[in-house]
Amino acid sequence: MDKSKAPMPNRERFLAICRGERPGDVSVIDWLHRCWAETVDAWIEQGAPRDIKDQDSMNRYFQFDHLHGLHEIVSEHNRSDLKEIASAQTMGYYHITPPIVPVYEIKVLREDERHRVETTFGGSTVEISKEHPWRMPRFLDRPVKDWATWKEYKKRLDPDTPARWPRDWNAFTARINSTDAPVMLLLEGYFGVLREWTGMESLLYMFYDEPKLVEDMMDQVLHLSMGIARRVVQDLRIDCVRFWEDMAYKTGPLISPEMFRKFMLPRYKQITDFLRSNGIDVLHVDSDGNVDELIPLWLEVGVNFPWPLEVAAGMDGVALRKKYGKDLILGGNIDKRAIIKGKEATREEVMSKVPYLLETGGYFPCLDHVVPPDVPLENFRYYLNLLREIGGQEKLPE
Amino acid sequence: MADFLGSIAQGVEKGDDKQVVELAGKALESGLAARDILEKGLVPGIQALGQRFKDGTAYLPEILVSCRAMNRGVEVLKPHLGDADIGNKGTVIVGTVEGDMHDIGKNLVKLMLESNGFRVEDLGADVVPDVFVNAVRDGQADIVALSALLTMTMVEMPNVIGALKEAGLRDKVKILIGGAPITRQFADEIGAEGFAEDCASAVDEAARLMAL
Repeated sequence: MDKSKAPMPNRERFLAICRGERPGDVSVIDWLHRCWAETVDAWIEQGAPRDIKDQDSMNRYFQFDHLHGLHEIVSEHNRSDLKEIASAQTMGYYHITPPIVPVYEIKVLREDERHRVETTFGGSTVEISKEHPWRMPRFLDRPVKDWATWKEYKKRLDPDTPARWPRDWNAFTARINSTDAPVMLLLEGYFGVLREWTGMESLLYMFYDEPKLVEDMMDQVLHLSMGIARRVVQDLRIDCVRFWEDMAYKTGPLISPEMFRKFMLPRYKQITDFLRSNGIDVLHVDSDGNVDELIPLWLEVGVNFPWPLEVAAGMDGVALRKKYGKDLILGGNIDKRAIIKGKEATREEVMSKVPYLLETGGYFPCLDHVVPPDVPLENFRYYLNLLREIGGQEKLPE
Repeated sequence: MADFLGSIAQGVEKGDDKQVVELAGKALESGLAARDILEKGLVPGIQALGQRFKDGTAYLPEILVSCRAMNRGVEVLKPHLGDADIGNKGTVIVGTVEGDMHDIGKNLVKLMLESNGFRVEDLGADVVPDVFVNAVRDGQADIVALSALLTMTMVEMPNVIGALKEAGLRDKVKILIGGAPITRQFADEIGAEGFAEDCASAVDEAARLMAL
């Protein structure tokens, strides 16, 4: 048997793929194939089993490899501890709740036929489409506006708050450490969560008008992350750390590389130095948009695994591999619009890049963002079967 | 005179609103015509910044503070300008299409258009086709600018165009579209005359559509 295809424990396999040691191995990871809540509903209507709302069932149905994100610790914005969230693997805006403990109370302020205005767990006020309640709402107000509001908000960002941690720590660590799946600590980056607190336009003005306030918020993110990471690495086996940024749009980053270097890089360096000194060298960053200008900056601080490499924003996984070689672990870059379009477009898109990226190693094939509801189940299964065919694996059961 | 205008342009380009307000006031006191201050001071400043954005040497924070400086400068000049001097490049209706609540991109386009001499009517987010139709029927729009961030909502764009056709208003306006999943090819497919990658190119596209 080809050595790169030989079975091995999931965790070791994940790390070996990250190191580029298993060229050609196709690992289709659940975390990288998260779906919007509406997608799962649509797939059930199209014939998928009802139980795919449960992550384990979805993993069995699509034969996903499991990557365990440590949602049990309140360390980032995707919150599974909040009861309004339908299920752990589907995405909706309620998931984007900054890592505050305690959260704010949800209150409906007003509504009409099409929209509802309410306060969120994160302390924002939003206008939600009643027809599409899981889609991103329009933000009308944010909790952090100035030093005074920040000082109040900051109190909710203490790493040592007991409610942030699983109650039975020993049982939790024993369970996680015995799992076969790779384990990922979820942390915030230094831009995305500030934007959640302040709103994008306000944050962008603050870089000019209130740079000290921006730095204080970033310092608190660092304090929270370091506090969490210190406790976690003592007791838990961590294979990968994910930073959430979402700091780029279609044509480039939302702030300049100079601003990144001045504000973010020193803080990134502190946390990544700590993680690497504890043997964690798979550092994943989630940022939509065109991140070409950000990749060298992330690499400078050891953040080496960007996702989702959005095709519509001009990201090109093949070009990145040629430019950065194995310094970069790649995830995504399969154009979701092709999967929406149909089988022919899917085959063309997948075959144009996936075999090359797999053979050069350090690649996890997945769509270039969370799976949207306009991806039909049939097309999605075709896409998965195509990946399985490339990897020499059997087709998904009917 | 040239000193005032050059410094005002520099102030706009670097986003120094205090400098722009102060210098615009002094320029008026010195006898400079408001229209000259606008056209030879503020406008070159915002144009220079727009060019830097397109060249990749300025980013969104710089766009925001420059537009703010520009708009504060215009406020100083307004009492001395005629209606025809402000927003005289054309009228643009902007809105995010039905089912899509995103408004950041649309707001940036609005800001840049206004800073570059267009009059803008903002219909907001999650806008149904009839609201676009009514705005075109009741107003003086030259361009309808549609925004969508999602693959699920970009398909609403042809519905707006269809509704304008049904109402007999399609020929009255040009359609400009943009948003994360939008491409020039999609614009061509749905019959939109304009497509913009970002807020700076939206200004260029709007100017092209107005044949300015």
